[in-house]
Amino acid sequence: MSDPVILVDRIAKRFSGHVAVQDLTMAVPRGGIFGLLGPNGAGKTTTIRMIMNILTPDEGRIAVFGRPASRDLSARIGFLPEERGLYKKMGVLEHLVFLGETKGLRRSDARARGRAWLDRLGLDGWADRKVEDLSKGMQQKVQFIGALLHEPELVVLDEPFSGLDPVNAKVMKDVVVDIARGGRTVLFSTHIMDQAERMCDRIVIMARGRKVVDGAVADIKREVGSRHVRLTFTRDRDKARRVLDDRTLVAHVDDNGASAELELADGASGDRLLEALVRAGAGLSHFAVVEPSLESIFISKVGAASAAPVEAAHA
Amino acid sequence: MRNVVAIMRREFMTRVRTRAFVIGTVIGPLLMAVLFILPIMLERRQTAPKHVVVLDADPGPLGELFAGRLRGEMRDTVTRTRPRYRVDHVEAAAQRYQAVRDSLVALTGLRSAGAAAVDGILVVNDSTLATGDVEYVGVNVGSPGEMAALRRALSPMVVQARLANAGVDPSLVMQSLRPIELQTFKVSEGRVTGETGEASFLLAYIMSMMLYFALLLYGMTVMSSVVEEKTSRIMEVLVSSVSPFEMLLGKVLGVGGVALLQLGLWAGTAMVLTTFKTQLAGAFGASPAAVANFAIPTVTPDLFVVFLLFFTLGFIFYSAAYAAVGSMCNSVMETQQAQTPVTIFIAAGLICMFALLSEPAGTLARVLSLVPFVAPFVTPVRYAFSPLPWTELLGSITAMVLGMLAVVWLASRIYRIGILSYGKKATLREVARWVREG
Repeated sequence: MSDPVILVDRIAKRFSGHVAVQDLTMAVPRGGIFGLLGPNGAGKTTTIRMIMNILTPDEGRIAVFGRPASRDLSARIGFLPEERGLYKKMGVLEHLVFLGETKGLRRSDARARGRAWLDRLGLDGWADRKVEDLSKGMQQKVQFIGALLHEPELVVLDEPFSGLDPVNAKVMKDVVVDIARGGRTVLFSTHIMDQAERMCDRIVIMARGRKVVDGAVADIKREVGSRHVRLTFTRDRDKARRVLDDRTLVAHVDDNGASAELELADGASGDRLLEALVRAGAGLSHFAVVEPSLESIFISKVGAASAAPVEAAHA
Repeated sequence: MRNVVAIMRREFMTRVRTRAFVIGTVIGPLLMAVLFILPIMLERRQTAPKHVVVLDADPGPLGELFAGRLRGEMRDTVTRTRPRYRVDHVEAAAQRYQAVRDSLVALTGLRSAGAAAVDGILVVNDSTLATGDVEYVGVNVGSPGEMAALRRALSPMVVQARLANAGVDPSLVMQSLRPIELQTFKVSEGRVTGETGEASFLLAYIMSMMLYFALLLYGMTVMSSVVEEKTSRIMEVLVSSVSPFEMLLGKVLGVGGVALLQLGLWAGTAMVLTTFKTQLAGAFGASPAAVANFAIPTVTPDLFVVFLLFFTLGFIFYSAAYAAVGSMCNSVMETQQAQTPVTIFIAAGLICMFALLSEPAGTLARVLSLVPFVAPFVTPVRYAFSPLPWTELLGSITAMVLGMLAVVWLASRIYRIGILSYGKKATLREVARWVREG
């Protein structure tokens, strides 16, 4: 943490009376994958746009590579914005060469690298086609390549996997993991929690423009403690209802139908819960005291933040 | 600078390779060549003379006069080898008149009759001299051109016959009434160019139209490309590595290059066609004398340079303004309305050009040459009439460059904020704030 790649210091951004980001501080350390999590409208994209110097924060400051964000750093940063955009009438490879050129690559280098990337992501054969002939998922991959072509030290991806089928999402995930393994830094935003849980070393969870959780994923889980239970029902699911609604045993439930993840109430224990469920006659195939999933942490934290009174937005 | 080159190349290459550009560029010179060659071909076209019968109901001198005059009418004024009419003079007194007339009408327009077929019958009688009424029965009465030619040929004959009846010497009167014919020849750089005034006007007209459409079309190309970048959000990727000013500059120069290439090819074709007009026309079988009779202007190399220079300056001036308008809008629909002020300025330039045609070297023309938004039209057109002294040319260029810099500065201030502003269309007050803000 001695020299964070991105340092965000108490920034705020308002849009005509509406607060998008408020009092946000975070540090993205060098190397690894950093997740920026939050529900829709939490302020993730606004934060990323400020980091990318597309928007200027109303308050606070941002440093990238220890310097105020500026265009001079663009050769060291790769960026995939949330709303994808490419020139529809351009050829795929030609477009990649153009993007590489704006990042300071020589045209011949950009062309060679572009071809290699297209091969790697299964787009060989599409190099000379027009962008508009590609499916949306393919275009997303092309733009992803465009962000990586100049081998940036820092890669900022805004919702990189949204709209992709599982196969393509995995291809891109593997690339992201590869980048991080090579010692480079990835910052990406998502609202898909199990993805973040599998990939991220550190996360920040935002809700309503504010930070609600910040830290290494392992630390966060340890802090919340092993007070979570995962259940899978085989039969008589409804007989368990009274037990799960008992607030002396269960603090809250993330009910998935055939299974559920719940947080034990203060003073309750796993043993007592199991005993109560068996006595109620619910059929269980699985009962385990577990580390909480990121999703359940997310829901409990964001739910709490949503319930908290919102300060009036004074500009 | 690398970025400007990259953006310029992108704008240029993606546009030059479109089918629309290739077709447009080829069709321009083709159209010009056709416009050039068509009159020559038409002139050479072998049209059979019209077979006109002068039917004299009351035989007298007038019928003979009419027939003689029509026989002398020629289709070409230069070589005078192709008669306009084939004339028969038929005298038919009172009792035979109707029968002759009926048989002639039966032959009118009858192709199967071959050489006997008649195109028109001209009826002359005693009252013609007094009333001036001449009856013409024919297949071609719907052609205003042919009827006018007929009237033009016959009127003096009636006048001549009336004068003779009154005992006045017709030849003396005709000689006295002969109107003056103004022969105009352009003087350029102290030399008579042999070019007619008509030709200069034609050149000014064509040049203005080319400028007008090129500025409008390519200006709007810049605008819609800005809107495309905004709506596709590709701007967000580019803006992290390219400054808005570089974007604007690259775009204007790239599209400008496309426009210059197209216009250069067109103007170059015009220059080649007009410089070698005599040789070219000769290849199509027209004599040098016939060529001199056409209003074909000459595009000199220095006019070519002035034309392209002022187009370039005007293009940067207007396309920067169009880019600023594009950056204020969120969709092509919105630009329809927002572009109106810029379009009005271009139209004003065209109107000013027409206004000074009557006096291209007057005070008004000189002042307009110094007004940046009309100078791209006014100065090259004035130059086409007669090359300007270099002081005036330099003054116009200086004014144009200063105006261009001012507009580019203003446009880039608006553009840099506009391209990243989404939501509703910017109000004038907001735009004014964008310009002021650091």
